[in-house]
Amino acid sequence: MISENHIIKDLECKDSQDAIEKLGTLLYNSGVVKETYVSAVKEREKIYPTGLPADAFDIAIPHTDSIHVNSSAIAVGVLKKPVEFTQMGSNDIVLHPQVIFMLAINDPHEQINILKRLMSLFQNKELLESVKNAEGTKEIYEILNKNILGNGDGND
Amino acid sequence: MEMIKILSVCGSGVVTSSMVANKLVELFEEKGIEAEAVESNPSEMENYISRDKYDLIAYASPIPDNFGLPAFSAMGLITGMGEEEFMEEALNALRKSGKIE
Repeated sequence: MISENHIIKDLECKDSQDAIEKLGTLLYNSGVVKETYVSAVKEREKIYPTGLPADAFDIAIPHTDSIHVNSSAIAVGVLKKPVEFTQMGSNDIVLHPQVIFMLAINDPHEQINILKRLMSLFQNKELLESVKNAEGTKEIYEILNKNILGNGDGND
Repeated sequence: MEMIKILSVCGSGVVTSSMVANKLVELFEEKGIEAEAVESNPSEMENYISRDKYDLIAYASPIPDNFGLPAFSAMGLITGMGEEEFMEEALNALRKSGKIE
């Protein structure tokens, strides 16, 4: 579900489509998504944008239908410089996400606990800041592993 | 009290709408109101609404029509910055339609 291989720190991309391409390629290379996934996410982002103005800073959650997914995973990119994403539910509100959570969800109902924890992460200013300011991918992995998968905090 | 039925709409009708659906059921539960949410994409909305009776639409992508139902943007439920506003509007609309007291 969460792998250090699917996390990029200081991701350099020229626009939202490039960010999707780079994060999606990570997922494709490890076999968790199908060949059609990247182009499907790109197309979907144009029609149904996924930028979100979180309390901490703007984020984006590009994703697509589960038919393009082999097994659920989340790729995370902390951008070196924000790129423009359109706000979810709008056609013209431009956001500047600093962290991108690219979702590959096989079965949303089965993954509902993960999605719930992910939403809590988006709503937690401090935690989101800690993802952005992490020293490296290992630190990001540890934050996500603890807070999204519930490992290592003894509460789950 | 009758159960509140919500149609949760997002672009793919799966990922974002599942997040919203789940969150809404929890938020209504906190208010002591039993709610059920069904996920849809914008183009399937009409089918769902013609088959079943819904009390509320929550949308995370533009919708073609509100089909005569109270409809509110659910984006704030995902970021958490608009949760109270959403619930206030939703509860007002449900009171107006006589669904809750």
